[in-house]
Amino acid sequence: MKALKTLPPRFHAAAAVFLLIGAAGVIGPLVAPAAPGDLLGPSFQPPGADFLLGTDHLGRSVGIQLVHGIRTSLYIGLLAGIAGTVLGVLIGTLAGYRGGLVDEILMGLTNIMITVPAIIVLLLLSISLDTRSVTVMGVCIGAVSWPWTARAVRSQIASLRQREHVDIARLSGSRTWRIIAVELLPYMMSYIVMAFVIQLYGAILAEAALSLLGLGPAGTASLGVMLHWAIAWESIRGGQWWVFLTPTVFITAITFSLLLVQSSLDTVFNPRLRDGKAAR
Amino acid sequence: MTLLRHILTKLGWYAAAFAAALALNFFLPRLLPGNPVDTLIGQALRGHASSETKQRVYETYIAEFGLDQNLWTQFLTYIGKTLQGDFGTSFSRYPADVASMVADALPWTIALQLPAVLLGWLIGNLVGAVAAYRRGGFDKSVYLSSLFLTAAPYYCLAVLLLYGLAVALPLFPTGGGWSFGLQPEWTGLFAVDAVSHWFLPFLSLLLVFIGGQAIGMRSMAVYEVDADYVRFAESFGLADRKIIGYIFRNGMLPQITGLALAIGTLVGGALLTEIVFSYPGIGTLLYEAILNKDYPVIQAVTLLVLIVVLVANFLVDVLYGLIDPRIRAAERGER
Amino acid sequence: MTLARLTGLTAHYAAGDAKFHALDDVGLDVQSGQILGVVGESGCGKSTMASVLSLNPGPSLRVTSGTLAIGGKDVDLTDPASHRPLRGGTVALLPQGALNALNPTRRVGAMAHDILAAGDKRIKRAESLRRTAARLEALELPPRVLRAYPHQLSGGMRQRVVTALATLRNPRLLVADEPSSALDVSSQRLLVDLLRRLVSDGLVEGIVFITHDVALLSELADRIAVMYAGRVVEEAPARDLVGSPRHPYSQALLASVLVPEPGTRGRRLAGIPGSPPDLRAPIAGCPFEPRCEHAMDKCAVERPPRLVTGPRDDSCWRSVDTEEAAHAR
Repeated sequence: MKALKTLPPRFHAAAAVFLLIGAAGVIGPLVAPAAPGDLLGPSFQPPGADFLLGTDHLGRSVGIQLVHGIRTSLYIGLLAGIAGTVLGVLIGTLAGYRGGLVDEILMGLTNIMITVPAIIVLLLLSISLDTRSVTVMGVCIGAVSWPWTARAVRSQIASLRQREHVDIARLSGSRTWRIIAVELLPYMMSYIVMAFVIQLYGAILAEAALSLLGLGPAGTASLGVMLHWAIAWESIRGGQWWVFLTPTVFITAITFSLLLVQSSLDTVFNPRLRDGKAAR
Repeated sequence: MTLLRHILTKLGWYAAAFAAALALNFFLPRLLPGNPVDTLIGQALRGHASSETKQRVYETYIAEFGLDQNLWTQFLTYIGKTLQGDFGTSFSRYPADVASMVADALPWTIALQLPAVLLGWLIGNLVGAVAAYRRGGFDKSVYLSSLFLTAAPYYCLAVLLLYGLAVALPLFPTGGGWSFGLQPEWTGLFAVDAVSHWFLPFLSLLLVFIGGQAIGMRSMAVYEVDADYVRFAESFGLADRKIIGYIFRNGMLPQITGLALAIGTLVGGALLTEIVFSYPGIGTLLYEAILNKDYPVIQAVTLLVLIVVLVANFLVDVLYGLIDPRIRAAERGER
Repeated sequence: MTLARLTGLTAHYAAGDAKFHALDDVGLDVQSGQILGVVGESGCGKSTMASVLSLNPGPSLRVTSGTLAIGGKDVDLTDPASHRPLRGGTVALLPQGALNALNPTRRVGAMAHDILAAGDKRIKRAESLRRTAARLEALELPPRVLRAYPHQLSGGMRQRVVTALATLRNPRLLVADEPSSALDVSSQRLLVDLLRRLVSDGLVEGIVFITHDVALLSELADRIAVMYAGRVVEEAPARDLVGSPRHPYSQALLASVLVPEPGTRGRRLAGIPGSPPDLRAPIAGCPFEPRCEHAMDKCAVERPPRLVTGPRDDSCWRSVDTEEAAHAR
């Protein structure tokens, strides 16, 4: 963890931006004076004293929708990110540690899943589902986003497995799950953290894309849903910038800050990963 | 010989992926409880149709999907029709043929995406390589702006460009494929009009793609520039051009896979860009189909995208095998 | 006969405002038909010297003075831009870590042609391949190697291919920069035999062999130069140097046991107390003075002159005093 001190300033800036937005998503809905669906004023009212970020085509407050939207997007992102990372690490570890037929089958599946674009599978899943609650969406996104992590974890595990301390543990009769938990996974923690950041990033993007297509979570605001209605009601051509710019700016800020965090972590941790590759 | 084997192995993988895609495309929407046609038609024709038309539509779809047979026969029917290019009849624009709706939209999408991919790949790799050689401030600014371009979703950049260059500063039309009052035809007037509508969505795709490629090439070239083989080649006084050629080829290889992997996200992202600009391509077709719950159109589009992505991936894989001898060796199990 | 004479080589690495004085007035002679060994600890400047001697210094190295006289020409070492035509033909490098020195996506034959074409633009591909095949054969490699990619060759074969490429244009001087450090003992043995044969067959006129491995050098080299803190402190015929080292550092180096196996690179000498000096500031006197058991007052302030006695020389005030005492008698 000494490495964290050497992180570039852009890491701290990006992490601060992300945490601030996250805080707005957590605190905002608690202190908001009304629900995101409430019709509070005239439609398309510009930002002003009544509404800090104006109102949308139905006269709902853009500001209240924003904080709820952030919460929804982050909730789906976190759920999908955790699900995707856990699945990816499990499958990758199993394939890499077991090798042989298990490896062949799991990696075949992984390669097929990587080739078939996730957004299409999600789209098909979404039109097939009766209820698209936020939780269902999060689980769905997580269920299709693991292959990248699985593939990367597998190659890491496959090379870690060759190390001496793993051999010693194996020869001294440790159980498989114990070897994985004690001898393998600790060496991959930095890697798993980075994979999680990328999963989170991908999941937030996937939610926004699905919502933009009109397949967003039912009965709640999300950043993608806001953008969907902004485009459907022609607010860009109508010049109602507060309606479409708000979700656009926040989606971009969240994804850009996450990618910056990931790339800064990468510059710190990658030398080790590269050495690992060179030793192969 | 070995190349042929490489291609055949890959072909096997893609056939498996294609089978999986076909199955997903068929079975996922049928997870809906009850008779799908009941649900689908109920939603699609809600309210506005006499019971007689409803009955006729209903029978069309029962016959089309073979719903009086079991699921497996239905799947075979579906595969058979798909292979013949028959995607059925649209719900929302009944009785329009889905295949011809897709065929109308496809040229617009190709005209938008193909130049953006190729040009973006070229420019992005050049920018990335130059950044790696020059290092310093130029490198830093290229890196951060590329990171921004890749981080922001496609449609966000599209929204910003549309508002900035068509609404706030009315330089370009605000969307669509051509101006109101014109007809798609082969005339100079229409061509100029179409290009002016094409430019903004093209630009937004191009920028995103440049960003992604520049980041990839930069990180690869930085790694290659310090490689032992470069120092060794330099020790013979080889011309810079030659050495850069070495670096490029080695740095380019992962970039080709980058291209393959980008195709999926690119196609998906580009479809969303079309929606922002109401561009009359596949993306907008899909968007409207989703709004209207026009399932045959949705399925045709998803299948088309899946096929395009698989074919593109396959081509890139073959190309990769042609260029990198190590890949071919790995296929043979050599180390 | 002297093949190459390096004189007055001074160079530093520049990193921002800081300077690292890597080489300080280094001079060496390489005799025709001989192998000159250069030995020293990590960080003594021997690899930096190899890069300058092979006319291919890294981008951050600034050569402030130095001349290499080779083949009747004086090469100004401060002007790397003028070196390109001499690289590969007059002087060639046998690199450290030869296993990664080959471009992974180029066939050996194509690379050989690139190298020959760098010296003679009009050379035909067929001619290149013919000459390369002959050289490969001399190193006991089959002609099919020409069509191979590096990954298809074993480690030992790659080592020999790199050697073949390095000597392809019959360079007069071959600079071998720790080529053996990554090899196992038997591959090391093969490489040593190979280098000796290159000289005896006249494929190269002379070799500078850089290593941290004294034991290896005592077998391989005709003469040995000992480097410390960017200077050559002693140079002598191999037998004399190993048998009766004069400079206190050479004595300490030989006394300390250096195990000839990979992995010892970067290890500090166990037998000498203290550590090598900080080269960020120039050193006025003898750089070994802080660690030397024979140190005198003037060692810290005044640079010891290079004292030539017969076939050997060293730079130590104690030797100077001994010499003067001998003359005074």
